[in-house]
Amino acid sequence: MQTTARLERATANPFNILGAATPSRAARGLVGSSPLIPDIPLADGQQYRFHFDMSKCVGCKCCEVACAEQNNNPADVSWRRVGEIEGGVFPQTQRLHLSMGCNHCLDPSCLTGCPTEAYTKDPTTGIVHHNADACIGCEYCIWNCPYSVPTFNEERGVVGKCDMCHGRLADGDAPACVDACPSEALAIETVEIREWRRKYQDEANAPGLPSADDTISTTRVTLPDDLPLNSEKADFHRVRTAKPHFSLVLMTVLTQLSIAGFATAWVLSLFGGSAVLEAAAVVTLALGLASFAASPLHLGRPAFAPLAIRNLKSSWLSREILGLSAFGLAASVYAGMLLLEAPGLALAGGIASAVGLFAMYATSRIYLVPGRPAWNSPCTVADFFLTGATLGPLLLATLGAQYGRVLLAAAAVAAVGHILLETWRFLCLVRSEEYEKQATAQLLSGPLSRLFLLRLGLLAVGAAALPALGFEGPGFALTAAGSLLGRYLFFVSVVPRNMAMPFFERRAAA
Amino acid sequence: MNLKRLLGFDTRKDRYAYGRDPAYGYTSAAKIPDRWIPTTCGYCSVGCGMQIGVREGKAVAVRGNDDHPVNLGKLCPKGLAEHEVLAANSRARYPLLKNRKGRFERIGWDDAIETLVRKFHAARSVHGPRALGVLSTGQLVTEEFYALGKLVQLGLGTNNYDGNTTLCMASAVAGYKRSFGSDGPPGAYEDFEQADVVFLIGANIADNHPILCYRLERNKRKTVVVADPRVSKTARMADLYLPLKPRSDIALLNGMAHILVRAGLIDRDYIEAHTTGFGELETHLERYTPERVASVTGLSVELVYRAALLYGRAKAPFVAWTMGVNHSTKGTETVNAINNLALLTGKLGKPGASPFSITGQCNAMGTRETGFTASMPGYRKFDDEFDRKDLAELWNVDPDSLPLERGHAYPDMVEACVKGDMKALWIIATNPLVSFPNVEVLQQGFDNLDFLVVQDGFHPTPTTQIADLVLPAAIWGEKTGTYTNSERRVSKVNKAVEPPGEARSDFDIFLAIADELGVRETLFPGWKMPEDAFEEWREVSKGRLCDYSGLSYDLLDEHHAVQWPFTVTDAAKTNGRRPATSRLYADGAFQTPDGRARLFAIDWEPYPEQPSKSYPFVLNTGRTVEHWHTRTKTKEVKILERMAPTAWLEMNPRDARRLGFRPHDLVTVVSPRSRIDQLELRITEIVAPGQVFMPFHYEEKNSNRLTQSAFDPISREPNYKQAAVRVEKSGPRIAAQ
Repeated sequence: MQTTARLERATANPFNILGAATPSRAARGLVGSSPLIPDIPLADGQQYRFHFDMSKCVGCKCCEVACAEQNNNPADVSWRRVGEIEGGVFPQTQRLHLSMGCNHCLDPSCLTGCPTEAYTKDPTTGIVHHNADACIGCEYCIWNCPYSVPTFNEERGVVGKCDMCHGRLADGDAPACVDACPSEALAIETVEIREWRRKYQDEANAPGLPSADDTISTTRVTLPDDLPLNSEKADFHRVRTAKPHFSLVLMTVLTQLSIAGFATAWVLSLFGGSAVLEAAAVVTLALGLASFAASPLHLGRPAFAPLAIRNLKSSWLSREILGLSAFGLAASVYAGMLLLEAPGLALAGGIASAVGLFAMYATSRIYLVPGRPAWNSPCTVADFFLTGATLGPLLLATLGAQYGRVLLAAAAVAAVGHILLETWRFLCLVRSEEYEKQATAQLLSGPLSRLFLLRLGLLAVGAAALPALGFEGPGFALTAAGSLLGRYLFFVSVVPRNMAMPFFERRAAA
Repeated sequence: MNLKRLLGFDTRKDRYAYGRDPAYGYTSAAKIPDRWIPTTCGYCSVGCGMQIGVREGKAVAVRGNDDHPVNLGKLCPKGLAEHEVLAANSRARYPLLKNRKGRFERIGWDDAIETLVRKFHAARSVHGPRALGVLSTGQLVTEEFYALGKLVQLGLGTNNYDGNTTLCMASAVAGYKRSFGSDGPPGAYEDFEQADVVFLIGANIADNHPILCYRLERNKRKTVVVADPRVSKTARMADLYLPLKPRSDIALLNGMAHILVRAGLIDRDYIEAHTTGFGELETHLERYTPERVASVTGLSVELVYRAALLYGRAKAPFVAWTMGVNHSTKGTETVNAINNLALLTGKLGKPGASPFSITGQCNAMGTRETGFTASMPGYRKFDDEFDRKDLAELWNVDPDSLPLERGHAYPDMVEACVKGDMKALWIIATNPLVSFPNVEVLQQGFDNLDFLVVQDGFHPTPTTQIADLVLPAAIWGEKTGTYTNSERRVSKVNKAVEPPGEARSDFDIFLAIADELGVRETLFPGWKMPEDAFEEWREVSKGRLCDYSGLSYDLLDEHHAVQWPFTVTDAAKTNGRRPATSRLYADGAFQTPDGRARLFAIDWEPYPEQPSKSYPFVLNTGRTVEHWHTRTKTKEVKILERMAPTAWLEMNPRDARRLGFRPHDLVTVVSPRSRIDQLELRITEIVAPGQVFMPFHYEEKNSNRLTQSAFDPISREPNYKQAAVRVEKSGPRIAAQ
């Protein structure tokens, strides 16, 4: 009976990507066909989910190895991970394990943020699929997911993640992890979506897991009765720096310099143009275009960068790319009109500046993701604009534009504002009750403290002290260096939300 | 990385494609083989059935065998990636001889065999047979063990032959022999499912034998009792956890027996009919009052009572143990104390009820049955006239050619090396430079050897590196034979792929050496394949407790694994059905001369190296689920190595606070013998204050630099646990780097 139901579902499943359904494991006469997957086809308003029973898990990590075998993933790419939490006092103590693949969330933030629409949520099964062919390897989903589920595969240049072994489910077979678990701690269940949306808090949250509020994880976790109240992630004290993303450091700082420089030049030109201002506008534009052209280099698949414009409806990354392209175009038109001495220059410059400022805003919004708590504040927006506001005028002054004093004063004010902002942001992180923010503060006051102080110092000296003494050029150079350093710190000091990991977790955050 | 990949045109799609395997369903296409070869896992002695997927002569995947009676398709994480060890870079490929400059040079097999025989002859002719030694393993197939035993004892003519099983199961063997008259675990894995009380003492099955957790999980009405000084993963599974002090287990067992006797929870009829020694034991147990036991074990009186009453009132209590019991100078006697409990209650050899040693290596049991080390093949005794005659007749040799006694046990061989008495040593499939306690002494001893041969599937290992001659051997997946698991189940092992380079199966190597010695036809008449050895062993085991006579390769291929004893009569009864679970001693008839089991009055004693002011901590050592023994195999499996990349030291937060340590500090552990530097500190409540724990797998941070030279006087098993150590800070904090 069960077999028939599974077969029917297998035949009916539209996501049977290999075409014709093959008989399920049970129908093939194999023993061990799993009672750990649902017998009845999904009804409307339902989807599949994982159930994880923490009280049964013995931490053997069979699921993690079976997953790697199932998907032929390299050792450092884990679509399912086993973490540890610990609490209590000897001998009333518990070291418990958490096994997690993808939570196939109701509101998947990987999907929302993905610029290429590589993610889809299967309308029947609720499985969040990732299409490697559509992926350009921007890793934005990794930043977006509060569980750090998507994993970048260096060998492929694309991200990948757990798809609940939908191909196995379609055949009536349990996913590899479920099948491998020797303590029956994992299972696939059916969940009523509307009901779950109402009541997920009780069972989707667990010690060692980020809050399910952001994305509404569907994974149901059964906790042991004797769970110690003070249970803590086993990797609690292992705070490590994240990937530096050098090309993004360069790209963001340069585009901010470019847009702010261009906009400043345009504003000044309204008060009377000059050859210097025109040259400055062209220089800033050239910088912006160069950095924009180089930006695909941070992608796993640079040749497919244009695909990143697909998801304007929900991805700030798509909007950024659109904005920067439009700025490049509008500013180039402006430059062309300059050369041709065409009329309407002021309007064209204004349009280009406005588009540029929008692009700058879009860039900053990329980083406002719950999965990266240290980034997820208006400070990031302010940081990006102040970077532009310091570097843009300073560059213009260095190039010898008119109103040099005004420009220098503006840069100095922006720099002081920036220093205050960074200080305030740091204090907020220190005082935060969120683990990840505290951890970022710990990095900035610990291993990164010298760089952090140097960054503030460079800003003060480069944007305020040196220009005041008449050294605009060296001042600009130091400020630019300080800004690059600041952006580097921005990337490396972020501590992503994640499930509790094991005591030995050697991989750095993306 | 090529340009196409850099630009993103090549995403290795072929490598990441999926397909459907006819047997295992939807999976990575790269893991779908041309054929699946059924075999048995080569790691621990749970003996899981698996299939190796072979494509174009290479092993591409391993899957659990759903039809295998041990694991019903499940595998542990090591088993799940076992195919990766076959293609490891560190496989030994060619015979290597060390030249005068101390460098290895590749030589041919004929030269290698000739050199081995010549060197052993030379040592023997100058220093006598006592100057030769052979250290074997629990890793070969039974057929190889059977061949090797004959080769060493009758071909090389030395009785200095022992295996690394002495570092592992010797105490269980000796304990069974003393209590029941013979080696051989009475119970079966099915007992995990049928017992109402499962008492795990010194056994962390969740890390060491995860598939037994699967068997235990299938038992829905069990009460699990775990005695372990550390709150291991297994302790977490317990309904009643007994956090006893290190090495206080004899006191606990005696205390439980004391309560059973006083509460009348013993089976006097059984004791009367099937045991001797009760009177003495009863008097002896009077001294083990719950109060005294509580003070020795650190448990509350109530906990001692609860444990005893749970055991005593159970219909089918099952006691299982591993190294927490065996790795002790009192290991054998602790086993006897466990056996006492079963004998006192008469709960032995019945469904769900047995004292059960969980073995370590995949075929430690095979060498115990056939190996000719601590006893003669078929559990025959060296000093038993009948056994000697019987065996000599079967082998068609002079009874006087059989050794009169066991030669040096492993630790005594090491001592003979240190004294300079041992001149030539042949090590097979073991890595003593990582696995032997107080290893620096062993190193000194091996330096004294004239000639050291290491036969192994891997090179370099710390042990092959100091060898004069390295013989490259085939490993699991590359040869055929049988393994016996902890529950006496003989399971077929099949060759799936060819060994790398010129590596040969141990069986072939043994035959070649016999040839060179000129004893091949005497010892191995007409033998060509492992099955020839199996057929002879069937005859030799006939009528013994470990009776294989009804088994055949065909029957094993059909049922994957069958328990001994299995006689010709049993075979006739099967009719194609899988043979039922067998248990020993269900009838109360034991292998002692009078057929009665022995009860022993065992005394608790403090462990040999007590903590002191200079060495205030008790060091406990153990395993982690990702690794196997000295990591020769598992460090080659990338995913396992990523999960457990280095050794660590666990310390209780109260001690850490007192010493000013922080999590992830790098610490140095010092024992009276040596030290280990740069160990990452894990501050955790799962170890008790005053104790520290570290895993033993890592040659780079080898716990056996710290462990002591203290051995069980009966089994000769080392006391790996409870070394006294101190812990110092050794380096900067590495967190946040």
